[in-house]
This record gives sequence, C-alpha cells and structure tokens, in this order.
Amino acid sequence: MKYEKEILGLLGFSLVLGTLYFALIGTGPAKFFTAPNAQKLFYLHVPSGLITYLAFLMVVGGSAVFLYNSSEYADKLAVSSAELGIVFGFMSLASGTFWMKAEWGGDIVSRFLTDMRLATTLAMWLLYIAYFVYRRQPDTFQVKKNAAILGLSGMLMVPLSYLSSRFLRSHHPVIIGTEDQGSLDPSLRVGLYMGLLGFLLIFIFLFKVRMQIEEMERDSLKSKMEKA
Amino acid sequence: MRFVVLLVTILLLTGSVSAECREKACMNNESKFQEDGGKWHTFYFNDVFNIGTNWFIIFDYPSGKTNDTITFEFSSGSKKVHTYDPSKETDSISFSGSTFSEERFNLELYINITGTEGSDGEFILSIDINKPPAEDMFYLWGGMTIFWASIGAYVLYISIKFTQLRDK
Repeated sequence: MKYEKEILGLLGFSLVLGTLYFALIGTGPAKFFTAPNAQKLFYLHVPSGLITYLAFLMVVGGSAVFLYNSSEYADKLAVSSAELGIVFGFMSLASGTFWMKAEWGGDIVSRFLTDMRLATTLAMWLLYIAYFVYRRQPDTFQVKKNAAILGLSGMLMVPLSYLSSRFLRSHHPVIIGTEDQGSLDPSLRVGLYMGLLGFLLIFIFLFKVRMQIEEMERDSLKSKMEKA
Repeated sequence: MRFVVLLVTILLLTGSVSAECREKACMNNESKFQEDGGKWHTFYFNDVFNIGTNWFIIFDYPSGKTNDTITFEFSSGSKKVHTYDPSKETDSISFSGSTFSEERFNLELYINITGTEGSDGEFILSIDINKPPAEDMFYLWGGMTIFWASIGAYVLYISIKFTQLRDK
C-alpha cells in the first residue's frame, strides 16, 4: 500500500489522543495516590518505557545478526532502533521524573542514585547514547563491528532494568507479570493498552521512515565514493 | 539540547525544597499522660495530618527506660513501634505522608507503653486527616509536554534530514 506507514502513524497518533481523552477527561483524579493528577502520566509513561525496551532489544538483535553475517540490513535496523530507543527512553525517563517528584517527593538526584530501577534504566539509556555518539563517525566496517559489540551489551542492560524493580531495592511499582497486575483496575487497562498500541504504531511509523533515511544516506555516500 | 538542560535545571532546583519541621515549637498540640507507675509522658504533635507530608510526634519520657517499647497505632491499622533509648528523655517518630489517602475526622491513635512485665499504660490521641488540594498539575502538564515535545522534535529532525537527502 502506498501510504501504509502514514496511515499507521495517523492511527497511532489518534490512539494516543484517545488515551489522553481517557486519562484527562474520561476518568477523574486517581484515588489512593498522593498526586492524583500526575498519576495520569501512567497511561503514556508505561507504554514509552515498554517501547524503549523493544527498541533496545531490536538493537541487540540487529547487532547480533551483523556480528554473525555482516548483514547491512541488520546494521541499519540497529542504528535506527537505537535512535528511536533514545527518543522513547527520554520520554519515559523525563515523564517518570515529573511523576516521581509529585508522588514520592524528595531529591531527584538521590532517587536516581539509590533506586535501582531508575539507576539501571538511566544507565541503559546512557549506554545507547554512547552507541549513538559512536555511530556519528564515518561508517567503516570496524566502526559497525565495534558498535555492534556495544549494542549487544543491551542483552544485559535491558533485562537488568526490567527486572530491577522485582529483585533489587526499588520503590518503582511492578505492573506487568506479577500479582500487581491482578489488582490493576480493568478500566485502567483500557487506557494503558490504548496508549501502548498508539505508541507502538507511532514507533513503527518512525522506524520505517528512519530506515528509509538510513538507506538514502548510505546510497548517497556510495554514489559519492563511486564518483570520487 | 537547551530544552533538556533547562528541564533538568528546573527539576533539580525544585528537588531541594523541604518544609517539614521536627521541633516541639512547630507542634500545635501538647498532651500529658501518666503511666501506671505515676511517671509522666508528654506528646507534642499536630492535630492535623496532611496527606503527602510526613507527620511527626515528639515525646518526652522519664529517663532510665531500658528495653521498654512504645507503640503508636492508628485505628485504621498503621503502626509504629519504638524502643526507648535509656540515655535520652525525648524522642520522635514519624508516619509517612502516604499513610492515608482519604480524609478522616477524629481518627484515634492508640499509644501503648510496654515494659518488661507487660503494659505500663495506654493513651489515646485524636487527630484529623486532611487531604490538601492537589498541587500536582504542574507535574502533569510538564510530563505530558515531554511526550509531545519529544515526538514533535524528532519528527521535525527526521523530516529535515529526509528533505536534505531527497534534494541531494
């Protein structure tokens, strides 16, 4: 289909708008929270965090395939996913910081240093910032190989961040895959899943565009080198 | 980048504000009770517990108490047990601001002093639980802005890049 990715993007955008309507207008201030209004960030904070994990896992997959068979497609996939992971990771970390400040209070820096979910997620994000910065230099085979090794370290960082609130010292609530999920009100799930689907579609749209740009950049570089 | 620096600065500056006071002078209520042995205990506390702010209770007690404990238990179930320090005559405990989530009036706080031979005395204080109006709208809109600003900035970035490459 000609406008496939544009339709996906629009659908995702509409779903996120629907999530906002649900969160800000459709439901009243949350009960049992110190900050009942800031709790509304939940509907987009959790999806952006999950999309960040997905993006970084794609970097791990792409890096592993590149190291195995030097596939150009896998390398493009890793670069594009890393960039999107950084964007969604920023959204998750920054919105979480606002929510944390309202709900838990206290000093932000010490929270990031002492709460293991926050510390490991920030470390994971900084790791891929390093990956992104490293990829700013000319794309030689050695650069791609070194970047793939760096990208593979997400194999450790992603599960560590995801599981940190279960097994390490953390105030961060566990939403998915524990008994807590059973206590999540079904009406909250509607908003959460709508936000998740919306962000997933936006991610797919941006990923497709980013892959196209990566392809064009490489073609442009190739033709420049051929002319030279 | 400037936006990120500005945001981090705002968050760091707002992070160091603390208005909690743990001094007797800050407490608007004082209650004296006599335990079974005739010794006096004085409790200093605010009779309004504001949700979201830690609530302190300071207490004076006779010196020389060893291995004795004092238990503070709200009728709603939240409980704190404190062991007396024999070298002190004043101590305090606190309940987290998230102990309650709804307004309550005349909530009873049971105080029980337990010595080596059982209970030495029981006192009851009464406080109100107040839910202040939410002041978290700034954080809600701040957080929401992050999503739209991030996606918007990234779409702008890739569209500029896309146009430049297409023109080449």
